[in-house]
Amino acid sequence: MFGLWLCAMISVLYTIVFVICVYTARHYFFTLNRLFGFQRHPYIDIDTADWPPVTVLVAAHNEEKVIANALSALMTVKYPENRMLVVPVNDRSTDRTREIIDQFVEEFPGRIQPFHRTSGKGGKAAALKDAMELVDTEVILIFDADYIPGAGLIKQLVAPFFDLEVGGVMGRVVPMNAGTNLLTRLLDLERSGGYQVDQQARMNLRLVPQHGGTVAGVRLSALREIGGWNENSLTEDTDLTYRLLLNGWKTAYQNRSECYEEVPENWPVRIKQIMRWAKGHNQAMVTYSLRLLLGKHRATMRERIDGTLLLGVYAMAPITLVGWALALGVFYQGVAPLHGVIAVLSLTAYAALGNLAAFFEIAAASRLDGTRKRICLLPFLILGFAVSIFSVSRAAVSQVSDLVTGAEFHWDKTERFRKAL
Amino acid sequence: MNPYIAVAALVFVVGVMFTLPLVPALVELRRKSDALPLSVVQQNAGEIRHFANSFRTYINGLEPIIMNCVASGTIATGTLSDGENYVVLGRVDQALVRTLAERDPTHPVLVVSGVDLAVGPESTFSKDIYARGQFEGGENNSYRAILGERDVHLGKASRVLRWVHAVGELTADFGCRLYGRVSSDLLIQLHADCSFLRVNAPRIEIGPASSDANRTPQDASGFPPPSGTGPGTSPRFLHDGDFEVLAGQTVRSNIVIRGNLHIHSGARVCGSVKSVKDMVIEDGVSVEGSVISARKMRIGPHCAIHGPVIAERELAMAAGTHCGTMEYPTTVSAPEIEVEEGVVVFGSLWARERGHVVASR
Repeated sequence: MFGLWLCAMISVLYTIVFVICVYTARHYFFTLNRLFGFQRHPYIDIDTADWPPVTVLVAAHNEEKVIANALSALMTVKYPENRMLVVPVNDRSTDRTREIIDQFVEEFPGRIQPFHRTSGKGGKAAALKDAMELVDTEVILIFDADYIPGAGLIKQLVAPFFDLEVGGVMGRVVPMNAGTNLLTRLLDLERSGGYQVDQQARMNLRLVPQHGGTVAGVRLSALREIGGWNENSLTEDTDLTYRLLLNGWKTAYQNRSECYEEVPENWPVRIKQIMRWAKGHNQAMVTYSLRLLLGKHRATMRERIDGTLLLGVYAMAPITLVGWALALGVFYQGVAPLHGVIAVLSLTAYAALGNLAAFFEIAAASRLDGTRKRICLLPFLILGFAVSIFSVSRAAVSQVSDLVTGAEFHWDKTERFRKAL
Repeated sequence: MNPYIAVAALVFVVGVMFTLPLVPALVELRRKSDALPLSVVQQNAGEIRHFANSFRTYINGLEPIIMNCVASGTIATGTLSDGENYVVLGRVDQALVRTLAERDPTHPVLVVSGVDLAVGPESTFSKDIYARGQFEGGENNSYRAILGERDVHLGKASRVLRWVHAVGELTADFGCRLYGRVSSDLLIQLHADCSFLRVNAPRIEIGPASSDANRTPQDASGFPPPSGTGPGTSPRFLHDGDFEVLAGQTVRSNIVIRGNLHIHSGARVCGSVKSVKDMVIEDGVSVEGSVISARKMRIGPHCAIHGPVIAERELAMAAGTHCGTMEYPTTVSAPEIEVEEGVVVFGSLWARERGHVVASR
C-alpha cells in the first residue's frame, strides 16, 4: 500500500517537473524570439487612413482620483473629433466620479456621452455590457480610468482593425508610478517582461496575444458574434481572448502602442489584484482549455498549444507548491527519484536555467526597453515571486472552496494612489 | 579553532555570499538612478513632419536676421544659443554656397536661405538646410536634412540622410537615396531607381507626371468612388486554404483567406481582403477596403485599392495602380517595397527596410 502511494507521489512529481520544464522552455523560446527573431509590427505603420468612427469606453468605479486625467488625455488625442465618442462608464460610483464626468461633458459638448450606472451586477464586464446600448461603431476601444493615453494611441489601436482577421487589439501598459517604492519597481519589471517579451513574442510567432481589457479594442461584429461581454467572468479580458479565438478571430498586440497606468503601491492591494486575476484566469482555464485544445474550431495547432499553456499560467503556482511538497515528501521517504549523474545534471540544469527563465525574460525586456540600471533589481524579484506564488495558490484554494460551498465570486476594485485633481 | 568563532565565521561568510548579489540591487533601490517611468511618446503622434516642424521652431529665432538679409541682399553668419554655427543667405547666389564649400567641403554650418536656394553638384551638407524659397539641389549631393517652404528638387543620385520636407512639391530625380522621412504638403515625385523608407504627401507619384499610367484606374473602369474604407460591417467570408476570385467577378463581402489568395483580372471586391499567405492581384482589380497579406503581395497594373495596403514581407506594385484617393488618403506599407513608375499613392508609402522605384516594364 505504502509502495503504491510512493509510486503515485513520484509519478505526480515527474509530471509536475515535466510541466515546469515545458514552461521553462516556453520562457526561453519567447525571450530568444524577442532577441533574435523576426519582429511583427504589421499595423504600426498605418498613419494615414480613412479612420473609422470609434467609441472609447472608460470603465470607472469610484475613480475620482484618476478619471479627470484620463478624460483630459482623451480630449487631446489626434483622431478626427467627429469620429470619436468617449463614453465614461460610471459604474455605481459613490464618490465624485459622476460629478467630474459631467463637468467634462459640459466642457466638451458632443464628444463625451456618459453612461451612469446606478444599479445592476458588479464588475467591469457587467458595466461594459450595459454600456453597449450606447455603442454603434464597429470599433470599440476600452480604457480603465487610471490610464493616460498619448496623442497617437487611438489611431494605433484602431489601425489593426483594418485587418479583418483581427477581432481584438491590445496595447502595451507602462507603469507611470514605477519609481515610488520597491513594489512598483518590481511591478514595472514584471510588466516589462510580460509585454515587451511575452506578448510581442506571441505576436511574432502568431500565437495567442492576450487581450488585457484596457489599452485595448474589440470589433463590435466580433463581440456580437461571440455573445457580448461575459458578466460572469472575473477577468473579462482573458474570457474575451479565448472566445474570440474559438470563433476564428485574432487578437493583435501592438507593442509600440504604449499607455501609462498606475500600479499598486502597497502589497495588500497587489495581493488582492493578483488574486482576482488568478481566479478569473483559472475560471477561463476551466471553461476553455479542453475546448481549445481538442475542440473543433478554427484555431491553429500552435494557437491551441500556446493558448492552453497561457490558460495554465496561474495554475502553475499551486502546482509548483505541490511539487515542492512532493519532492520533500519523497526525499524524506529515503527515495531518490533520480540517481547519480542524472540527478546532479538535473539539479545543475535547473539551477542554471530552470529557475532563471523568468528572470532572463525580464532582463531581456529591460534591455529591449533600453533601461539599464533597473536590471540590478532583478534579485528582488524573488520577493515578488514568493508573494505571487502564495497569493495565487491561496486564490486557487479559495476558488475551489467557493465552488464547494457555492459562494459567489465578488469583484474587488483596485485601489488608486494618485491625488485627485 | 574555537567552535563559536567557527560558527560566527560561517554565518558571516554565508551572509556575505547571500548579500553580495544583492549589493547592486540595494544600491539601485536607494539611489533610484533608473526609476523613472519608461519613456512613452505622449505628445507627438509619430507625425512624419515632426522633425520639420521642430526645426522650423528651432530656427525661429533667426527670423529678424533672415528679414534683414533678404531686405539688404546680404549674408550673415553667427552662432545659435546651442553653439550651432549658421549662415543666413539673403540673395540667390550659388557663389556664396561655393565659397562655404571652399572653407569646408562638408558645410558644417546650418544653411538658412531667405530666398530661393540653388546648390551645385557633388556637395555634402552635414547640417540642416532651410530654404524659404525654391530649393534646387545639384546632382550627387548629400544632405542631412532639408526644410523647403516652397518646392524642393533633389538632383540625380542625391542622398538625404535624415529627413526632407517641402511645403510645395518635392521631386527626387533618378537614383536618389532617401534614408529618412520624406514629406510634402502637396506632391512628391520619385523617379526611377530612387530608394526610400517613409514617404508622405497628399499625392505621391512614382515616375514622371506625364506618364500615361498616371490616369486614375477607377475613372477608366467607371467604378464609383468608395463611401469609406474603414473596417466595414459587411459580412466576413472566412475560408481555410487557398482561394481565387475569378476574372471580372464582383464580390460583395469582406474576404479572409487562411491560405494564398489570387484575384484575377478585372475583379472587384466591395469590401476588404486579407490573406494569411501570399496574395496576387492581377491587372485592373478594384478593392474598396483594405488589402492585407501576412506574407508577400504582388499588385498588377491599373488596380485601384482604396484602403490600407499592408504586406508583412514584400510588396510589389505595377504601373498604373492607385492606392487611396485625394479624398480618402491611405497607407501602403511593407518591410520591402518595389514600386514601378506609374504608381500613385495618396497618403503614406512606408518601406520599413527598403523601398525601391523601378522603371516601368
